[in-house]
Amino acid sequence: MWEKKRGQAGNAVQYITRNQALKKLQLKLSEFRRLCILKGIHPREPRKKTQGQNKTYYHVKDINYLAHEPLLNKFREAYAYERKIRRARNKQNSALAERLAARRPVHRLDHLVRERYPSFVDALRDLDDPLSLVHLFATLPAEQRHGIPTKAVQTARRLALEWQAWVVRTSALRCAFVSVKGFYFQADVLGQPVTWLVPHALAQVLPTDVDYRVMLTFLDFYSTLLQFVNFKLYHTLGVRYPPVVDPRLEQAATGLAALMQDLARGAGAPIEGSTKAGNPGEGAQVAERASGAAAAEPNAAAAERLGTLEARLAQLHQEVAEADDAADGAVGAAASGEESGDEDAGGIDSGADASEGDDDMGEAGVSPTQRRGGVGAAPPSAGPDLSSGGALLLAPDPPTTVAGGAAAADPDDEAAVCGALFRGLVFFLGREVPRETLLLAIRAFGGTAGWAGEGSPIEESNEAITHQVVDRPTQGHRFLGREYVQPQWVFDSLNWRVLADTRLYAPGLAPPPHLSPFANPEDEAGEDAYVPEYAKALRRLQEAARAVRARTAGALQAGVFLDEADDGGARDASAAPAADAAAAAAERLYAAELAPAGLGKRKAGAAEEEDDEEAMAAVMMPRKARHLYASIQKRRGAKRARAAELERRATALAGPGAS
Amino acid sequence: MGKRSAAGPVVRAQPDAELELLTGDLEGSSSDEEAQDAVPQRSPRAGGGVERETAPSSTSGSKDGASASGEDEEDSDAEASSADEAAADADADDAELDRALVDLMAAQAARRGGAEGGAASVEGAKEDGYAAGTRQAGQELPEPGAAEDSNSSEDERPDRNTVGDVPLEWYRAEEHIGYDVEGRPLARRPRPDRLEQLLARADSPGTALRTIYDAYNDEEVVLSKEEIRLIQRIRSGRFPHVEVNPYEPEVDWFTREPEIHSLHQGPEPKRRFMPSKWEEKKIVKLVRALRKGWIKADRGAPPEEPPAYLLWQDDGLVADKTANGLSYIPAPKPKLPGNDESYNPPREYLPTEEERLAAAAEAEEAGERAPLLATAHDSLRRVPAYAAFIQERFERCLDLYLCPRAKKKRAFLATPDSLLPQLPKPRDLQPFPSALAMRLLGHTAPVRSIAVDPSGQWLASGGDDGALRLWEVRTGRCLRTCLLGGKVVCVAWCPAAETRLLSAAVGKRVVLLPSGVGTEEQEASAAAALAGLPAAADGGAPGELCRWQARGEGEGAELLHGYAVARVSWHARGDYFASVAPTGNTQAVLVHQLSRRASQTPFRRNRGRVAAVAFHPVKPFFAVATRTHVRLYNLAKQALAKKLVASGGVTCLAVHPSGDHVIVGSEDKRLAWYDLDLSDKPYRALRYHARALRAVAVHRSYPLFASASDDGACHVFHGMVYKDLLSNPLIVPVKILRGHKVVDHEGVLDCAFHPTQPWIFTAGADAAICMFTNP
Repeated sequence: MWEKKRGQAGNAVQYITRNQALKKLQLKLSEFRRLCILKGIHPREPRKKTQGQNKTYYHVKDINYLAHEPLLNKFREAYAYERKIRRARNKQNSALAERLAARRPVHRLDHLVRERYPSFVDALRDLDDPLSLVHLFATLPAEQRHGIPTKAVQTARRLALEWQAWVVRTSALRCAFVSVKGFYFQADVLGQPVTWLVPHALAQVLPTDVDYRVMLTFLDFYSTLLQFVNFKLYHTLGVRYPPVVDPRLEQAATGLAALMQDLARGAGAPIEGSTKAGNPGEGAQVAERASGAAAAEPNAAAAERLGTLEARLAQLHQEVAEADDAADGAVGAAASGEESGDEDAGGIDSGADASEGDDDMGEAGVSPTQRRGGVGAAPPSAGPDLSSGGALLLAPDPPTTVAGGAAAADPDDEAAVCGALFRGLVFFLGREVPRETLLLAIRAFGGTAGWAGEGSPIEESNEAITHQVVDRPTQGHRFLGREYVQPQWVFDSLNWRVLADTRLYAPGLAPPPHLSPFANPEDEAGEDAYVPEYAKALRRLQEAARAVRARTAGALQAGVFLDEADDGGARDASAAPAADAAAAAAERLYAAELAPAGLGKRKAGAAEEEDDEEAMAAVMMPRKARHLYASIQKRRGAKRARAAELERRATALAGPGAS
Repeated sequence: MGKRSAAGPVVRAQPDAELELLTGDLEGSSSDEEAQDAVPQRSPRAGGGVERETAPSSTSGSKDGASASGEDEEDSDAEASSADEAAADADADDAELDRALVDLMAAQAARRGGAEGGAASVEGAKEDGYAAGTRQAGQELPEPGAAEDSNSSEDERPDRNTVGDVPLEWYRAEEHIGYDVEGRPLARRPRPDRLEQLLARADSPGTALRTIYDAYNDEEVVLSKEEIRLIQRIRSGRFPHVEVNPYEPEVDWFTREPEIHSLHQGPEPKRRFMPSKWEEKKIVKLVRALRKGWIKADRGAPPEEPPAYLLWQDDGLVADKTANGLSYIPAPKPKLPGNDESYNPPREYLPTEEERLAAAAEAEEAGERAPLLATAHDSLRRVPAYAAFIQERFERCLDLYLCPRAKKKRAFLATPDSLLPQLPKPRDLQPFPSALAMRLLGHTAPVRSIAVDPSGQWLASGGDDGALRLWEVRTGRCLRTCLLGGKVVCVAWCPAAETRLLSAAVGKRVVLLPSGVGTEEQEASAAAALAGLPAAADGGAPGELCRWQARGEGEGAELLHGYAVARVSWHARGDYFASVAPTGNTQAVLVHQLSRRASQTPFRRNRGRVAAVAFHPVKPFFAVATRTHVRLYNLAKQALAKKLVASGGVTCLAVHPSGDHVIVGSEDKRLAWYDLDLSDKPYRALRYHARALRAVAVHRSYPLFASASDDGACHVFHGMVYKDLLSNPLIVPVKILRGHKVVDHEGVLDCAFHPTQPWIFTAGADAAICMFTNP
């Protein structure tokens, strides 16, 4: 009878150790490592470790896959070729060495990208690490000592900028977070959340205990991948790739701005979403200001402007109507006792100052403080402007709401809200703030920005500027018509999709805590999670903004279909949450009344009963499930304890101030 | 001057008038002219003093001339009286030379100070410098050759002394200073005394300053001014000779610029006009390589491929397999940052100083990088670069290619409660005992055993206080107390309805008592059953297995065993009962028959320490629990019917009233439910007690069973056994009863169900008996 022998089937033949793999592939460890990194081969955990516990196991199929990799031969050839060059050098045959060195065989990694990511979505899912590494290398110095080639750094920088430009162009940015490690950004790319980390723009000290060859190998593959991803993204946008960088702006080290210009010019057929209708004008204007020397460009820009003017007019009509509705919403919000009344002035319409240039600046530059003052008092100020065509372009300000420029956006449409949050706001960045990250954040959320330094499209003295981002202990000269905020205001505002109270972020003040947009209490175990006080305030603000948007959207829709449904829809939108809140409050009150009335003892007994029941149920569980259950309970307990501890500390910190 | 400097020449300022005169005389006639042309010649000679170098005699002359240039004029007309003036004049010229000399002396003295031999000689010389002065003046006279010799170059002049490099104080006590080349001792010359020295110095102060004493050769050496200049130059780090300029302007004769004219006048060689042979060879090589295709002609750069193109045409096709057919395991994404990673976190997130230190200490202990704790910066400009950024990225890279990945089959859990088994709610399984109805207090020591009589009216209990108590269940009244003269470890009722008999295990005895609570017939039959036994004999251990003997009047009977009895267990019919004496080896289990008053040992072999025995309720089966196994014997066939494997340390045993299930409790905190029809392994082994199990009990009519443990809890289970053979018993924990305190690591020692009601009695080490009823 056929007998099954040991080691001839199953894990024993499916997995081999790393040394076995090296022997089989006849590779050095460094070559094997490089190949593994490029091919994305990783060790696997076999169920049975037949060769020993402390070994790394690779699947046989993985190793065979490596063995048939064309790159393997390429690497071998390259090695032999290097030997030739070395030999020529050693024989003093410099001519030959030079000729050989000039004709080094090149290898490409395109096929690896295709193999590893058969579909585009696959690539997007794995984009976090590539982006983080590329952004890191974009800031690293090209060090001879660590063998970091200049070209790799330049490529990394270019790819990072291209990615950022795409994010800005499509308003794909969702969150930004200033951590002690750097800036975390999260973008929504075709429905996939992509998160990357950008180090603080300070000189990195290169540690010596890091093997830079490993990182460079990763960078090699990642830059190839990112290049194709960028190509695909630009292709979908209908823009040429690689974008042409404006040499003058590039020289001024404006980075993103230099790249954006090409994107904004729209080399291919511009693909514009409805929310982006107002933007090309702005881009053209920026382009015009930046490179006025080029003869052809103003014409093109002018033509474009003419082309979009009609659309622009139509849009403005619509926006005026929206503004009117939004004003009502704001009044409602203010009346409901929220802080929206105190909130910062919302947006000026972006289109006005952008497409009109300087001629209307005098009128548009009415001090925002004045406007703010008149918020609640005269919301329908847009009414008379409607009559005169010239005044139409003055772009009557939408009411100052927390909703920002996205007052008219559908609150459920995240992309629309994000793309228009800063619309109409013009920022000026001081030279002490991190320009690149702020530019990315502001422009991705629909704002316009200038900066102190060369290449800026806007001067500091420009009247159109609504917000000046500064990070200095005291601000000397202040322009009257603008808000002075710290950079955190931008990040907090965009994370919560509101325009936060600028007074809290005034220069010289300690700003309110910067909260992580990734710490979502809803994701964690419901009521267990701790919510900081400022998060609650921001959430209230968010609700207000949402209500405004919902009302505006409802009004718009109702306006389209049925006039009289307007009120009803709006009332529904606001009334439903109000009813819920009332019910919840009543319930809370009832519970509070009941609580001291002798329920305590029974409750204690009931709790014990419950504990007993839990213990008894655990008796009947299989061991595995019991352990799992216990560990889950333990984790929950720890989380709850942490939340309780934070709560306790918060009350302790707030206590002295409150009393 | 190797040797001499090693010996430490003593430089001494010396008024050496004779020497000066002598030199003046020696040079005699020519001294004037010498002096005349020596003074003007000094400056041109300073430019190129080759002549002087090559002619030592003229140097010596000029030296003397120079030294005496001022004096010789005086010498001609005046003598010693004018010596002071002359010295004053000479000082102007020679002041610097003298200073140099004194410096030289001091430096040498300092340098020699540390040297072993030289030091003493130098100091000695210093001490008696003036004393020796006069003696030397006399010595100096007769040897003009020596003076000439001293003027010559030192390399040319051999040493007088040949002792070599030895410390000179070895010769201090001797009359001689060493030996000459022939080996004759060199006599020490007398040294001038201080007066002579003073006179000599007064005579010629210039020369005296320049005179040095060479202790090695025991002679005075007068340095010429040239020599002193030489020394001075050397000391100041310049080239010794005035004429030699080491920094001549360089004339590069062989420039790298090609000249237009050849430096030589020869004709062009022929090879310049001939094709090169070596070039031809190289060309031939290249041509051959080209022909054979070894090298390719350079046709410009290869066509540049586009750096990027549209790689993905498809959309939305997501593959979960890699190209090699294995499942794709994506690397886990790093955790997204929470509030505490913010540059400006809420203040409550900031760790206290202790937490910070603790975290740092922990990291240090583990040899890891300190964890990132929340830190607050009051503005963005104050945020420093994150030091471990590159390190962390690198570690992520390492993780990506080095960490083994495995697909975790993680069941989706909506809530962790979904892990809990789907069991019927306890409240649906009522009745079961849940409320403490009564606590029976009376025992003064732990209550070891309790038993409820078959009618359910009476409860018997026995404890360590040696009392057997009889309680009325309904009222909780203690009806009787019998002191049995030893710790009562087990009590049991005879199940026979007609005989209300009580049994108890006390030491080596099994006591049978008429309960006194039955009807008259019952009492009569009990008395009859126990009557007629022989009175208790005084003999210790019985010769036979066990001796049946009567106790006092109306106090029943007792069975005296050879070993301490731990348990008594009755057969359902009430005629047979078994006693367990765990230490009794082959006599561990005895089966007694009440009607025949006979005892027998059913087992011939000892199969382990017996913990408990039980009769099958209906069939002639007998269960014996040793510590590791439960054996089921068929009494009719006298054979082993089944052997159940227990986990270890069996302490108690109960047989389900259906007879098909056995419940075993053990020391390893485990309760095992055996289905005899299924297997010899437990159908369910439950481990929920914190300590060893002491007792298990099964209700006779309700589907209930219970376990008591030393952790002070008694768990009540719903244990439904279904009639059809296909469905397994349903076991549901329904209640945890905590009525007893743990005393000396003993909790609940026994438990017993009421025969007809869903009530349970528990006996505890706290000397109490609890009765739990259903509410």
